[in-house]
Amino acid sequence: MKIKKRNISTYLILVIFGLYMIFPFISTGLYATSTNWSNTLLPNDFTFQWFIELFQDSNFISAVTRSITLTLITLAVVLVVMVPTVFIVYMYFPKVDNFMKGLVLMPYAIPAVILATGLLRMYSGSAIPKYAVLVGGLFVGSLPFMYQGVRNSLEGIHSRNLMQAAEMLGASKLQAFLKVIVPNIKLGLLITTLLIFSGFFGEFVLTNLLIGGRYETIRIYMMRRMNENGHLASAVMVAYFLLLIVISLVITRITSSKKGVSNSLFKRKKRKQEQVIPPLSLKQLEPAATSEVKSNNEKRRKL
Amino acid sequence: MKTERFNKIWILLIPFFLLAALFLVIPMVLMITSSFTSETTGSFTFDNYKEIFTNPFYYQAFLNSGMISIFSSIVGLILAIIVSYALTNLPEKIQEKITVYINVAANFAGVPLAFAFIILIGNSGALRHFFDGLNFPLFEGFNLYSWQGLAVTYLYFQIPLGILFIYPSLKKIKKEWKEAAFILGASNWVYWRKIGLPNIMPSIAGTFVIMFANGMGTYETAYALTGSNVNLITIRIAALVSGDIYARPILGSTLAVVFALIMILILILSQTMLRRVRRDLA
Repeated sequence: MKIKKRNISTYLILVIFGLYMIFPFISTGLYATSTNWSNTLLPNDFTFQWFIELFQDSNFISAVTRSITLTLITLAVVLVVMVPTVFIVYMYFPKVDNFMKGLVLMPYAIPAVILATGLLRMYSGSAIPKYAVLVGGLFVGSLPFMYQGVRNSLEGIHSRNLMQAAEMLGASKLQAFLKVIVPNIKLGLLITTLLIFSGFFGEFVLTNLLIGGRYETIRIYMMRRMNENGHLASAVMVAYFLLLIVISLVITRITSSKKGVSNSLFKRKKRKQEQVIPPLSLKQLEPAATSEVKSNNEKRRKL
Repeated sequence: MKTERFNKIWILLIPFFLLAALFLVIPMVLMITSSFTSETTGSFTFDNYKEIFTNPFYYQAFLNSGMISIFSSIVGLILAIIVSYALTNLPEKIQEKITVYINVAANFAGVPLAFAFIILIGNSGALRHFFDGLNFPLFEGFNLYSWQGLAVTYLYFQIPLGILFIYPSLKKIKKEWKEAAFILGASNWVYWRKIGLPNIMPSIAGTFVIMFANGMGTYETAYALTGSNVNLITIRIAALVSGDIYARPILGSTLAVVFALIMILILILSQTMLRRVRRDLA
């Protein structure tokens, strides 16, 4: 009897919370598909006119292209630089690793506005193109998430042991990294990449402060349209969120596709899942250290 | 032989440190040094700091940001705890899916969020008109384009952020503890006061600090919603740094330095406090 009662309040809380979370999405959707919505709870009509207008607007198409270009370039830089870096630091420089764990709190200590201030201070009027500065700023902004994501994946596959095994079997460090480590963390990497992708794609503060209207990305386009035509702006947002939802669907698909294949795979999948909930809390930094100690102890025992 | 190998590995770290230096460390150092230079002569001075600490306009910006952040993180934290607790009662499979969507919602901040709230409860918002039509003064005296509106809007992304941190720590509370406590005769209230809460207290405190810092650093949502009507610290800095008419980059840098110092101080304080709490627990 008691259990049933608790279930009802559980679902009641979650339904209210869910409605609250969904409400803005619904209202934006309704606004995007109507021409007249005032004085009534629901709009008076239904139309796709704004979407048609939107996709005929060359500014919109180029804003999307710009956002995608910027995102892909930055993502490439981030992946190429960060994956080897985190790997090397994790494997060979535990002291640096400890220091880097502090990075996790960086975006809260140095919000994007402050980062932009520093970047403008250094580069405004310099010969370095603002675009490169923007890519660099985004790179810095994504550091904590990238570091945490890659590091968790490395820990999840016991990469120290894997490297030892690979080297014992005669592989060079580079070979072991490319052929053993990278394929094993591919899944975790993909999830981290997708999360950072949505972050870059929706970036506003750095882009607006560093380049502003001269490089109109999707968010800046949204902002400009918002002051011109609300219905059209809603249509932009709906399109934008459809894309984000597709990305998160991909994430859920990836994380649950491994389910039930085998017990060990299932365990690994669980770890990946934890990554999606960014384990950034101050308290959670410690278990990582203890598992490191554990794996070191294991090693010692083996020796 | 061995040292040579390590040297080689160091070389691979150069791109990272180069990028970090170019786009994080040096800009921050430059920002700090320029806060000590005079706007007119370029010589060393404390005048910028003097101006910030004596001009009530900037003092007010810190106060406004702080008030909105404290309100949105306290209310957001309470709601996040309630929702997280409800989440832990769900079947495992649904839990996993929901956390991903909460992640999306946490990304909803900024321009889209501001606009959605304008549609709903702005001056001619649908909900506002609906309640006015019913003669139910729910939104009377409520102004979305003021600090009240900002506080309500911040709540929307603060709650998911809180859940992302609180939920994992709530999951760590073992059912067995509760059973053991109940067998030993504890009531639900005693169990939470003596066992449940002390266990999650450190992460509640940590989450509060992160939510507060997140609120302080928010720029996009506030900018999209109020332009520069509400005097917030982030909006003030951005206007000083990149404004076309009133650009005073050096003063902006000074403000940014003070802001960063406050944030770092808060984070360090909370870390040491957390450590102390944890030691007491152990």
